[in-house]
Amino acid sequence: MKKLQRVSPVVFKSTPLKTESRDNWEVVMEYNGEGDGPYLVDLSHRPRFDLQDSNLAAQKPFGILIPETPGDCVLENGILANRMNRTQVSLFNLDADDTVSMPDEPGYTEVTESTLCVALIGKNVFSICEKLTALDFMDQLRKAPFLFQGPFSHVPCQIVTLNKAGDKSGLILTCSRGYGRDMIDSILHAGEEFGLKPAGESRFAKWIKEL
Amino acid sequence: MMNRFNHLPTLKVDTAQKIAFIYKGKKYYGVKGDTVATALYANGIRIFARSLKYHRPRGLYSLDGECSNTCMEVDGIPNVRCENTLLKDGMVIKEQNVKGSAENDWMSFLDKLDWMMPAGFYYNVMHKPAKIWPIAMKQIRKAAGLGKISPDFEMPGKFDEIFLNTDVCVIGGGPAGMMAALGAAQKGLRVILMESRPWLGGFFEYRSSQYKEGETLHNRAGQLAKEVESFENIRVFTHTAAVGTYNNNLVTGFQIGKKDDVFNERYIEIRAKSVVVAAGCIERPLIFDNNERPGVMQINCALRMAKTYGLLPGKKAVFSIGHDLGLEAALELHDLGLAISCIADIREDGQDPVLLKKIQDKNILFLKGWVATKAHGRKLVKKVSLASVDGQVSKTFDCDLVVASAGMTPVTGHITVAQGTLKYDNHTGFFLPDQMPDKMHAAGRLLGLNDPLSIEASGMLAGLKAAFDCENCSIGEIGEAKKALENLPGPVRGTKLVTAPVKGRKSFICFDEDATIKNIKQAIEKGFDVPELIKRFTATGLGPGQGGIPGHNLPLYVAKYQALPDISIRPTNVRPPLVPTLISTYAGVNHKMFKITPMDEMQRKDGGIFRNIGVWQRARYFSNDLSCKKEIENVRSNVGMLDGSTLGKFRIYGPDALKALQRVFVSDMSRVKQGRIKYSAMCNDDGCMIDDGVVIKQGENDYYFTTSSGRAGQTAEWIRYHTRYDGWNFALVNLTDALGVINISGPNARKVLEKVVDIDISNEAFGYSEYKEFKISDTIPLRAMRLGFVGELSYELHVPSSYMKAVWLMLKEAGKEFNIQNFGVEAQNVLRMEKCHIILGQESEQRTNLLDVGLGFLWDRKKADAKTIGAVALHQAEKDQTRLKLVGFKMENNSRAPRDGALIVDDKVRGYIATARDSFSLNEAVGMALVEAPLSKIGTRLTIFEDECGDDRIYGKVVEMPFYDPEGKRMKM
Repeated sequence: MKKLQRVSPVVFKSTPLKTESRDNWEVVMEYNGEGDGPYLVDLSHRPRFDLQDSNLAAQKPFGILIPETPGDCVLENGILANRMNRTQVSLFNLDADDTVSMPDEPGYTEVTESTLCVALIGKNVFSICEKLTALDFMDQLRKAPFLFQGPFSHVPCQIVTLNKAGDKSGLILTCSRGYGRDMIDSILHAGEEFGLKPAGESRFAKWIKEL
Repeated sequence: MMNRFNHLPTLKVDTAQKIAFIYKGKKYYGVKGDTVATALYANGIRIFARSLKYHRPRGLYSLDGECSNTCMEVDGIPNVRCENTLLKDGMVIKEQNVKGSAENDWMSFLDKLDWMMPAGFYYNVMHKPAKIWPIAMKQIRKAAGLGKISPDFEMPGKFDEIFLNTDVCVIGGGPAGMMAALGAAQKGLRVILMESRPWLGGFFEYRSSQYKEGETLHNRAGQLAKEVESFENIRVFTHTAAVGTYNNNLVTGFQIGKKDDVFNERYIEIRAKSVVVAAGCIERPLIFDNNERPGVMQINCALRMAKTYGLLPGKKAVFSIGHDLGLEAALELHDLGLAISCIADIREDGQDPVLLKKIQDKNILFLKGWVATKAHGRKLVKKVSLASVDGQVSKTFDCDLVVASAGMTPVTGHITVAQGTLKYDNHTGFFLPDQMPDKMHAAGRLLGLNDPLSIEASGMLAGLKAAFDCENCSIGEIGEAKKALENLPGPVRGTKLVTAPVKGRKSFICFDEDATIKNIKQAIEKGFDVPELIKRFTATGLGPGQGGIPGHNLPLYVAKYQALPDISIRPTNVRPPLVPTLISTYAGVNHKMFKITPMDEMQRKDGGIFRNIGVWQRARYFSNDLSCKKEIENVRSNVGMLDGSTLGKFRIYGPDALKALQRVFVSDMSRVKQGRIKYSAMCNDDGCMIDDGVVIKQGENDYYFTTSSGRAGQTAEWIRYHTRYDGWNFALVNLTDALGVINISGPNARKVLEKVVDIDISNEAFGYSEYKEFKISDTIPLRAMRLGFVGELSYELHVPSSYMKAVWLMLKEAGKEFNIQNFGVEAQNVLRMEKCHIILGQESEQRTNLLDVGLGFLWDRKKADAKTIGAVALHQAEKDQTRLKLVGFKMENNSRAPRDGALIVDDKVRGYIATARDSFSLNEAVGMALVEAPLSKIGTRLTIFEDECGDDRIYGKVVEMPFYDPEGKRMKM
């Protein structure tokens, strides 16, 4: 039987130099010609969950205390928890070395397949963003990590800013999987003038460790 | 080519770097930094274009694009404002709106026929008799209009867009604007500074007058620009015109790209907490006979020609001015070699004595209380007549340049567009800001200030006020800045004169529309007594200059002509874009954002022809035969695969999930059984059908349901909205993109599927309307449903999107021996139509209710009405005999199918065709139509009217539905 292969909604034209097979995903660890940044990294294979509960305060997904205020996020032990509203939180498993499974409890839904997930990291990240959205990433009142739920290249997205500091800047963006082709095209097009290049997961792993 | 100055510190051109361009087929050279207009001028071109109505010669006037005088065709693009467009190597420039050439225009005879075209002549003349109008209109349209463009012209260049957020946005990069930016930035705020010229400095930048001891205004502009650029928190956008100001301090603009930029133009949208408007002043045109003849230009135009572009604007000049800037310009230009015959100053007094002394020292004739009355010369200025302001005494001077200006007028568009109001100020003669919009502040010359230090102080004050809006400045600090301004010279007295003492037949108040003072008088005499009405009756201010020339002259003249005791009338409204730009700039990059299914690439490889359907791109056909005959026949006789991934898919769970389902679905959802599929519909409060789909119970208080593709985006909000007061505990998750859908249909569908799955899928084990969850290859989780939308044995497989390709390839491989084929959305449309299964939006529209389309059986009438959306309305509709009904029909005499949307008529419209096709399964044309109840009886003849059918009609007959397999055996096989 042929090996079952999962397909990411994100397709880069760059040539992969190093890949890893993980849960039937072919994860690119490094691409040819990644450049000096900024970088666009496909994280669509990273597990993502939706948790809804009328009493979120009583929940501690993966042992994490969920932020109280919608828009606030917390990154702990490789899990990014993003408070969306009164009853809902999105959970991204960002640590490739510690892949988690969905808790077997009623409020959880696995949404890995629902969205594409990319990280946009490095210098000029927010200059790229301002070509695609009116969201104010540099608002001095917002301390990273924080969540925006709003349009990016006209598409509703969840965008978590993890760092706002110069060359170390970075964010994670998710949107409906179906927009994969056009969203990636528009980000790469917007980032062309800043030298944005696709990069492998290793680049992201290194970046997030330095946060 | 004219000689250029190359020693002036204010120059913005590099005379050593030549730039070649083509004008009317001939090669010319400009220099780096030239605009198209200055390059042409340097090459001796004086007549740039002809005017709209009278084809009068037009030339350089403002240098800031305030009128259409220098609109030309550049690189195939008409109406390019040459005064604002930087010259680029290889540009091809042509005249526009000329028959012949700008120099010799055959249409110039129209100038003599102005008596035939009084104000509003369109309204008065061309409709009597009415049949003249269509003929006249065509001729007028041929003669008028600026520039021509081919319908298939493709705009060259790159257009970009950025969306910015800031604390303070400053409009205007002159001294006041720069000080405002510094004031706010020093408070730690984020500041955006927009300047329409390619450099900062504004009114100071090109002037050599003293700022303070030992320092020129030009030097000061440089210092301020450097300081501004040293602040990391100030973002400077030069060559960026602000074109709109909206509620909540949204500012829009467009930026012209530099050589190394990745864009030619880009649209800028700024959301600011506070806005400072420091847009300065333009000159108020002096109105006299032939005041737009090439050779007549404004003070700033003449001065900047020399100081910025190194070009002496003429040889011998007469100045007719009303502001000290005119005196300063005359002195500077005189020193640069311009012979000045006379300076006529409208003002009797109030001039700067230092300037007067210098004029006297240079023996230049200076006339106080005099004004230009007529420019002479058929195409170019040859001489000018001056008269005392009372018109009693006159003189004539030979000259090739008339520098004319009535004074200054503030640029208030950004304030009024944002709903600020203006009030006439008798001291300055300006319409000054009266009530400013919330969190918007004015600064600089537009307040009537003229003293350099006052201008800067007002900028600082505005910057601090903006900082206060952002809660970063104290009232005390603002008080100090206010005091500093009060200790400096205040606004200067302005001139009141609007027109020279002339009759006005050839005195133009609006250059773009060839509107004269005489036209304004005509309009007033006809009863149009306020500027807004006069503007529309005479077209004054409606041209591409956006009212730059008539601007504040129009209300001033209207007040004067009617001898109003005070100037209570206001300038006409200006609207965005305040500066004209390209539609391409507004379009921006225009990324096409469509959703694709996981099978997109595979289907394209298989020859799929895609169409945009809502937010999705879907394979509609798989061959160039748009009737899809082979696709349809393959499903009816063999097996086909359809990508149905666009279906809306949702999980709803929680203790009150069932209550929510009961609320939105018309059926009794408590009867959804595990392992079974329930088809149902959603209605709105009017009972009109908005969605349909299937519901599955996948666990206790845990359901999975589908919606139509087009509705998926609204479903979650719809359910939440209609349960908002109940406090129910349930959760919704949109899984539309998480799961792809493969619909495998046709009599051989089971044979293909059973090769891929490990479970028993016989009719006994997996019957019609049943649901199963299982895994393929112990890995891929599948939800499978036995449905029959296309009227054949069908399985709908819901597959995790990332595995869709894998499953699709498995099915293709398994189906090879049966020659399995793709089928697209159009084939599905015909197949389901033959079965009379409806698609919302095709067999329904906004007013179509559940009963109209024959789905009343879905509605559980025992549910309490208030608990089902639309039930109350459906109860009422049941008794209503006037509603349209969905019927099936066949065409008479085996004729072709009518077009979708064609009308059912007798002496009135009685309904319309929903879907109709030539059916290959039935060998006849069939369709569904919504018709009035009396026409819905079986056997009724339907008369069908199609677009452009004239008196021809086609006919159909109402028949029983469904057309295909009425007993439904095939989908249950």
